[in-house]
Amino acid sequence: MSDAADHQPSRTRVPIPVAALSDPHMGDAARHPKRVENIIAVVFVVAMIFFGLAGAAYWQNWNVWTFGGALGGGLFALGFGLTAWGKYLMPQGPFVEERHVLASAPDERDSMSAALVERTAVVVRRRKVLGGLFAAGAGIFGIVAAFPLIRSLGPVPGDELDVNQWKAGSVLVDSNGRPVRRDTLVIGGIMTVYPRSQMRVEDGQVTFTDQGLATDQTVLVRVSNEPFTTVPGRENWTPDGYVAYSKVCTHLGCPVGLYEQDLELLVCPCHQSMFNVRNGAVPQFGPAPRPLPQLPLGYNDQGYLIATASYDQPLGPGFFERTTT
Amino acid sequence: MRAPLKRKLFRQFLLPAGLLTVAAMASLAVFFPGTGAGASGHADASQVSTNAKAVLKACGSVNTKGVSPIPNTGNPFTSTNLICHSGGLISYGNDSITYANPPASYVAAGRQLFAQTCSSCHGNEANGVGPGGQATIGPNLQGVGAATVDFWVSSGRMPATDVKAVEAERKPSRLTPKQALELAAFVNSLDPAVPAVPYPHLQGANQSVGASLFSLNCAACHTITGAGDALAFGTNAPSLQNRAVTPQQVAEAIRIGPANMPRFSGNLSDAQVRDIVSYVTGRLQHPTNPGGFGLGGVGPVAEGFVALLIGVGGLALVCFWIGERS
Repeated sequence: MSDAADHQPSRTRVPIPVAALSDPHMGDAARHPKRVENIIAVVFVVAMIFFGLAGAAYWQNWNVWTFGGALGGGLFALGFGLTAWGKYLMPQGPFVEERHVLASAPDERDSMSAALVERTAVVVRRRKVLGGLFAAGAGIFGIVAAFPLIRSLGPVPGDELDVNQWKAGSVLVDSNGRPVRRDTLVIGGIMTVYPRSQMRVEDGQVTFTDQGLATDQTVLVRVSNEPFTTVPGRENWTPDGYVAYSKVCTHLGCPVGLYEQDLELLVCPCHQSMFNVRNGAVPQFGPAPRPLPQLPLGYNDQGYLIATASYDQPLGPGFFERTTT
Repeated sequence: MRAPLKRKLFRQFLLPAGLLTVAAMASLAVFFPGTGAGASGHADASQVSTNAKAVLKACGSVNTKGVSPIPNTGNPFTSTNLICHSGGLISYGNDSITYANPPASYVAAGRQLFAQTCSSCHGNEANGVGPGGQATIGPNLQGVGAATVDFWVSSGRMPATDVKAVEAERKPSRLTPKQALELAAFVNSLDPAVPAVPYPHLQGANQSVGASLFSLNCAACHTITGAGDALAFGTNAPSLQNRAVTPQQVAEAIRIGPANMPRFSGNLSDAQVRDIVSYVTGRLQHPTNPGGFGLGGVGPVAEGFVALLIGVGGLALVCFWIGERS
């Protein structure tokens, strides 16, 4: 051990050369350091003024432009001054720092290898235990990490994407839960409706028990006063000229909420798919691949608008397991 | 040596840093105070208080095809207040909106004004029939109600500069607000109809409710900031951030559904219309823009452009300057 102590100072014995100011590599930082110093000083003073202004703007509640401008100006001036200081007033490189000798002294290395040899047996036994524990930990991690992969191979979503809350007899209600009457809309009117199949009336107050899903949102448009047929096979789906389509775009699921009453077009705000409400919302333009599903409408005993059946197809964008066209 | 260094470090660095952090937190709390006042419940009191048959006699015949009979949604005969005089509908409405027809004395001036500025396109009797019996360029205006005429004229869309344009654009009106009402009085005298000109009472309006109704009913076309947007076939939803748009015009547009805009009738009560009007003229037209720069509120494309070009571009220039060898 005394040998090692003798060698200890060897690290500090090696001189570390630092580039001298007279080094030919060292360029002049600035031709006129005094002028640069003055400029930087002015910039710092400007920063102080800006910060003072920002403080005043804060206390006096001046407008955000004054406050933000002063704060930003002050920070910019500070940063500019610091950078200029470093660039123009500090000596510029390149600087070279020599490494000290990395190798240990020969007897230090000898004693190290002797110690390793002496303890080998003990060290190897301990490594076995640690190695086993490590392998167990990593193995459990690997198994857990495989769970999502295994799950993704598991049961298919089934009809989860095919279902919605609209049933035969679902009352159309607005976002406040108010049901829609025969005369709620005039021609050219539009509203977003949701299904409420469980309706309860207490003391004249109408309440509902089930909640619609986001995908159930439906646009209700009044196109005329008389029923019309959007496409053959959908007769009697539009009482009094009311027509309802799913509000979820068949392209990427945006809410198709733009209705142009003169053109009788529903427009999707995301990619400008256009659907004519008179002919079954067949896409007129844009990337939507399929018409918006149409909801068959009717009235219940109380004169409220209802769905006479659910949608005849899944709502929203297409998916892999989709079977209907 | 160690201990004094530690103390020095504490005094000169850690203590000020800690104090600064506390100060920064405090200023943050001042800058972003919790939004205390939330949306309060909004009772929609709607009840029929008038006997339609009785008032029909005093009001004369009124064409109500443009409004829903649901109470307090712009229909005179199901409104809380209805004032008629000698066979003419004077005003109706409730605490939220008063709908009023221009006085009958305006009709004479309106007839003259109509002959000068409107008849070449809409016909002398505003019925869309020209002198030779042919259809005119403009549509039949009989039975549209005073609000429709007032909206199109007061917003400068009529008289149109280009009759072949897909859509008449808003421009400074060539006629005064009074002249717009005179025209409305004349056209309405030919076939009395509703809605009459709405005057929203904005004092009791709830802007929070208005904001949520706006996002549900209006934002799809006008965008959530009210900047307006292009629609199909050369049409567009105009900007609502324009401060020349008056509360009266916003209420009119909701009730009459001009051009391609849908007509909101029974699904928005007068109280809800008033809330939307208050939100549009109070908030949308005076955006606070806490970031300082609204960029017109036209969405992420404009914002991304500015962020990339000015933000990242400016940073790149600064980096070049810092890294450049002098």
